[in-house]
Amino acid sequence: MVDLDAGTLTTRELNLKIKALAANGAEEIRVLNPQARHNLAVSVLAPCDITFEGSVGYFCASLMDGPRVTIRGNAGWALGDNLMGGTIVATGSVGAAVGSTMRGGEIFVGGNAGARAGISMKGGTLIVAGSVGFMSGFMMQKGRIIVCGDVGDGLGDSMYEGTIYAAANIESLGNDAIFDRISEEELISIWETLEGYGIKEQYQFRKIVSAKKLYHFDALERLEKTVI
Amino acid sequence: MCGVCGILYKNRGDGARAPIGADLTSMLASMVHRGADSTGVTVAGQSRQSDLIVRVWAEDDADGQQALGKVEANLEANGARVKARSRVGDYLRVSVDYQGDVQKLADALVDMDGLVIHSIGECSEVIKDVGTAGDLDTRHNLGRLRGTHGIGHVRLATESRVDISHSHPFWAYPYSDVTVVHNGQLTNYHKLKRKYEDMGYRFQTENDSELIAVFLADKLALGATLSEALHDALGTLDGTFTFLVSTRDGLGYAKDQWSAKPLVTMETDDVIAMASEEVALRSVFREEIERVEPQENEVMTWSI
Repeated sequence: MVDLDAGTLTTRELNLKIKALAANGAEEIRVLNPQARHNLAVSVLAPCDITFEGSVGYFCASLMDGPRVTIRGNAGWALGDNLMGGTIVATGSVGAAVGSTMRGGEIFVGGNAGARAGISMKGGTLIVAGSVGFMSGFMMQKGRIIVCGDVGDGLGDSMYEGTIYAAANIESLGNDAIFDRISEEELISIWETLEGYGIKEQYQFRKIVSAKKLYHFDALERLEKTVI
Repeated sequence: MCGVCGILYKNRGDGARAPIGADLTSMLASMVHRGADSTGVTVAGQSRQSDLIVRVWAEDDADGQQALGKVEANLEANGARVKARSRVGDYLRVSVDYQGDVQKLADALVDMDGLVIHSIGECSEVIKDVGTAGDLDTRHNLGRLRGTHGIGHVRLATESRVDISHSHPFWAYPYSDVTVVHNGQLTNYHKLKRKYEDMGYRFQTENDSELIAVFLADKLALGATLSEALHDALGTLDGTFTFLVSTRDGLGYAKDQWSAKPLVTMETDDVIAMASEEVALRSVFREEIERVEPQENEVMTWSI
């Protein structure tokens, strides 16, 4: 276990230290006094355990591939932005755009998430134990979003692919998002995933997918037609 | 991008004053990355006297001394009795005993060449300047100001020029004690500004955020509660915004229909605090906090 005191380091110094430790095979890194600062543990590309003893700011653990990050507190906007692989666990609540454009890995939020959770997701799994804000899953292209609490307006608006599972009240579905039948196997798989995070309740999830009515990939622009 | 923050100490009816100036300074300093063009605060509840505190900025008067004399003479000529005055460079602060219509006093002052009113109020004062929170604190000694509540702003200018008058907070001409800080852009600003000018309102700047202050004060003057005025704002203002308003008795916020601009709030037994980012709250409250992120079309108010 290596302790780093964020209070005594600039963000760049801290991130360089974390990356160097991870690259040199450190197994556990603990960051003290993060004080909700931005851009912590960005672009760490080797497997290791990183624990933040307190809240973090924007873009924490973004562009990351490999580590297991635990945040004992809250996170700001865009936690795990463009996550490639690895896992992120935040025990508190997180801001808007958690898991935006993530391509792989898993993010678990113990509290609530803000607006636009999982916006433009391209893979991986985003799990929120509490509620998510409006326009969550906007334009998602792949992956899973699992929400145990309430969901705001416009869920899954303009999603291309991927699946959203919601257990509680959904304020409204977004454009082109529809409910689909959920299979027993899917439910069991979600319950198993949640159990890994200590959630034993077997919620009855509803499944939301794209109706694909907005697909116009073969339609040509008027100008293109005249050229042909 | 801009940063906003606000703080209100509860249960201060007994007259005990809290370190509003110091709190706002730390919160704004921690959000310098959200804007370093200008910084400003409203500190409210410094005194509970019936005096009016007039804060003006003399644009063309480098040392302010000459302007101070003219401002005092103008105030006296309009029925206000000057009780105290002070000056930091070209910033003038005059405390007056005045029972009349604030608009009359404001019109008389704003008609003076190069004079901009930053605030008129019985209990709240606006202090703003170009530069960072550190600059503002050094120049105006913000840290010593105590009160019951206040709001602050760091600005990264997008729609109007960078100068002292286009800095936040904006005072709602000509109402006492209504000021606003805003993060965002209003898209129906010009249309609404013309409407309010037709109604007789005067605007001191070309900043869209000034309109929010005037809009809210107009509603309050017509008898709306602060919460009702903020709900009206959601229905009327178009664009992106998270704005905070400070009045004689409290604070409020409103957030646009897209939840485009950030805000987090926290509450303890003693205090309500809010800011664009948690990092600002943590600059005052070092221990871990429970914070709430307000969502789209949301309004909230608190009273001292």
